[in-house]
Amino acid sequence: MTYRIDPNLKTDLKKYGAKDWNECFHCGNCTAICPLTENNFLFPRKSIRQAQMGLKQKLSANLDPWLCYFCGECSTTCPRNANPGEIMMTLRRYLTSVYDWTGLSKRFYTSKVWEISFIVVFFVLIVAAFGIFLPPAADIFSNPSNYIDPNSGGVLINSLVPGLSNIQFVKVIETGDLIMAAIVATLLISNILRMFYFTIIKDKSVRVPFYAYFTEAWQLIFNFVSQPKFSKCDKKSYWLGHFLLMSGYTIMFIVIVGLLPRFQIEEVKPWYNWQRILGYYATFGLLFFIVYSIIGRIRKKEIKFKFSHETDWLFLIMLGLTTITGILIHFFRIGGLPGATYILYVIHLAVLVPMIIIEVPFSKWSHLAYRPFAVYFSKLKKAWYKKQNHLEVSVAA
Amino acid sequence: MKGTSKTAVCLYNAGSKKAGLFNFKEIKDFLRLIPEIRTVWDFSSGVQITVKKLSEQLKAIDIEKIIIAGDYPGEIKDMFRQSLSLAGKDDVKIVLADFACYASLNGHSTEMAKGLILCALNDKDYEEILFTDKTDLCRETLVIGGGIAGIQASLEIANGGNKVYLLEKTGTIGGHMAMFDKTFPTLDCAACILTPKMVEVGQHPNIEILTYSELTSVNGGPGNYTVKIHKKARRVNLATCIGCGTCAEKCPSKSPSEFDSGTSLRKAIYIPFPQAVPNKYLIDAEHCTYVQSGKCRVCEKVCPVPGCINLDEQDQDVELKVGQIIVATGFQLFNPSKVEQFGYGKYPNVLTSLEFERLINAAGPTGGNITFRTQDKKGNWVFENGAGEPQSIAIIHCVGSRDENYHAYCSKVCCMYSLKLAHLVKEKLHHADVFEYYIDMRAFGKGYEEFYQRIKEEGVKMIRGKTAKITEKNGKLILRSEDILNEKIIEQEVDMVILAAGLEPREDAVRLAEMLGLTTDEHGWFNEANYNFDPVNTFSGGIMVAGVCQGPKDIPDTVAQASAAASRVLQSLINNKVAKNYKDITLKEIETRLG
Repeated sequence: MTYRIDPNLKTDLKKYGAKDWNECFHCGNCTAICPLTENNFLFPRKSIRQAQMGLKQKLSANLDPWLCYFCGECSTTCPRNANPGEIMMTLRRYLTSVYDWTGLSKRFYTSKVWEISFIVVFFVLIVAAFGIFLPPAADIFSNPSNYIDPNSGGVLINSLVPGLSNIQFVKVIETGDLIMAAIVATLLISNILRMFYFTIIKDKSVRVPFYAYFTEAWQLIFNFVSQPKFSKCDKKSYWLGHFLLMSGYTIMFIVIVGLLPRFQIEEVKPWYNWQRILGYYATFGLLFFIVYSIIGRIRKKEIKFKFSHETDWLFLIMLGLTTITGILIHFFRIGGLPGATYILYVIHLAVLVPMIIIEVPFSKWSHLAYRPFAVYFSKLKKAWYKKQNHLEVSVAA
Repeated sequence: MKGTSKTAVCLYNAGSKKAGLFNFKEIKDFLRLIPEIRTVWDFSSGVQITVKKLSEQLKAIDIEKIIIAGDYPGEIKDMFRQSLSLAGKDDVKIVLADFACYASLNGHSTEMAKGLILCALNDKDYEEILFTDKTDLCRETLVIGGGIAGIQASLEIANGGNKVYLLEKTGTIGGHMAMFDKTFPTLDCAACILTPKMVEVGQHPNIEILTYSELTSVNGGPGNYTVKIHKKARRVNLATCIGCGTCAEKCPSKSPSEFDSGTSLRKAIYIPFPQAVPNKYLIDAEHCTYVQSGKCRVCEKVCPVPGCINLDEQDQDVELKVGQIIVATGFQLFNPSKVEQFGYGKYPNVLTSLEFERLINAAGPTGGNITFRTQDKKGNWVFENGAGEPQSIAIIHCVGSRDENYHAYCSKVCCMYSLKLAHLVKEKLHHADVFEYYIDMRAFGKGYEEFYQRIKEEGVKMIRGKTAKITEKNGKLILRSEDILNEKIIEQEVDMVILAAGLEPREDAVRLAEMLGLTTDEHGWFNEANYNFDPVNTFSGGIMVAGVCQGPKDIPDTVAQASAAASRVLQSLINNKVAKNYKDITLKEIETRLG
């Protein structure tokens, strides 16, 4: 098979993060120091090579960037300061844009204007949607006591929008949630199919045995839930931090999208209620990770925080805003402040929606799907290599 | 100053690291004032002209010479050649005035640049200005460092009939070369070719060896230096010691031998190695029981020569007058314990190249048998016969070299000495597996590529890929690396690992540079005056550099450079001329000298 060389690839890749693609002199240190590499999955060096050579096709068929969890060991020991870890991060951004058929991912990654305008438009739209109810909503401020549960003293959260009964209101929000989830899922699934096409179908060097699709399927769930590969990295604390965030985020997502009618209820439950405890756990996970990441990215001490792409910051800011507004809603609600609750609820949604629409299918958080699928696909390839006896760690002969 | 007024100057700035030291604006203003210069092109902030435009400009003016001045002016010489060609003026002379190699003289760079342009304008070599007559030139020369570079330079100068002081920090001359088993690529026995030279130095009437001594201060100027030397007390009389060794036999104190690179133990009264020059014993005060605790005096009692050992001898300071100085201080080996992944210092059978060099040496701790490192009764890690032979040995290249975390430069010799060590292992242990983990194989010299091919044919396994880490499992060392050429991850189990550690400037090189007014590059190697054309002179007049202290190099290059440095010294002695310090030359002086 012949491969076309794209001499501009390196220049294009610079927009995704790593600036210097020429430092590497291919000593192989990074590949060997990485505890996750195995035969046929030799990264980061091989991926760097593909980028240096302009082998776009090979790069898009490459699963390796997703198998790296950025512990930074390769970058600390790299004799050229070529920062292989950062390059893998950059390649993940690039691959996200390769899998995405809409072209939006590329826009968001390479242009701040695009991403910020997108967020602003959604923000304005959502605020405007609530604004329709604004004149009657002034009642919240003039007669706050009408919106407070006389028993618990908490705000009746679902009755804040005049003209809609509490059941109708939840229905509206739930429908919006489900529409958003459907859009995001459709985009993500179609991108995964493209990923499958690029990495498995188009890779003619591998013919995946049919049974492997079923025997390896458990990898998907297993890797999604616990990132077992990440825990093999030398720095276990990274895995723990990530697990906290991931579980928190997943819980939140299930609760606010799937179980909204059960979660967003008028009644303020006592603190030991399981829903509240789950919510607190999730909030703690998110908050911990956000604070840790922001401090890390400012101090730039750890390798993985040394270089921040604009999208990294934007994501942290959005997630931070969502979390903080969520926490404030909770306290204002318990504190019986219907006006403040209402305003923050609107802002919360206006930040959350564009964040999910950008991050999940087009940006950083798409890895929630790409990583487990990459592990799954790599296992499929491995099944073929196993048949060919390609796999064992070899001894120089 | 007769100008033709047919000269044009182009100021060029390649934007190198050093360019910032020059004030291009000041140089430009200076050039404008010189009537002999017709036009000045200012490319100091980049070339903003096409070949075609330039050729049109060249056509319009009547010139005979173009001076391209700046850092790395050669970069745009071609552009001028093409333009001149287009303009039909192929006979115009282009002269380059390269600032780059003078840039390290802080604060003086701009003056130097102006001087360079003036020299170019008058078709003079800058060095001609540099050398001045010196009728009271001191005939003695000081050579600092008694390694192969110092030995070679001393012999050349002394054979020319001139007095040489050879200063050596340790108890014997010989340096690192004396520690080596064989040289590459000829596989000569290093000791066999070096020791005759050492003996020649020792017996030469014109050479005075000052061992166990260090330079403490330098005063005076080119041609007349006064140097102060601190002679540490040997505590054994050089004149009367007969080298019988009775003292060392009875001495109770043991410490790691410097000459054996710590692979064996020596006594506190010792001779560095049997062929040492001078072949006399000395006492290591730090480990001597008497010096440390005031009791013992065993050596004194057993010494057959009365009064030979003087345990209370004190250090001495001597002052010498010398005309010129050759700096040949060599290198120190990179300490691989800084590279934690390799576990040097943690795993006993991970050795440095120098340790292995001693181990495999017939005069080494085991008589040349390759054995495992074991602990002796007192818990010291040593090599002893009978400890078992390794069946597989790996050599890791580029330890501390070509690595931004330690030294970014290539140490130049490690590839070749690793190949040599591989050969020596194969010679002694025919059935042992030898692996070489390299990044790039740099067989750059005469006969080196052939040597590399020969070693490959001997069955040494070459693996392209830097070893990332070494772990120990059941007494075996496991090296994890990528075999780049085979696209495999390999985890190789071996018995012994040799780290081909790089060369680095000596710790005290900076202090020495300060004393002598030398400059060093960003790594700490001494700067030569001009990389291409003046590789032995320095910016300090009458001070030459030779050998590895100027930059990593192998033995043949070191010897060649030492001879070159000696020839510079002899030149000065014959002509009674000596170079000034570069920093002492003023623009005014250049102007008057050019006339």
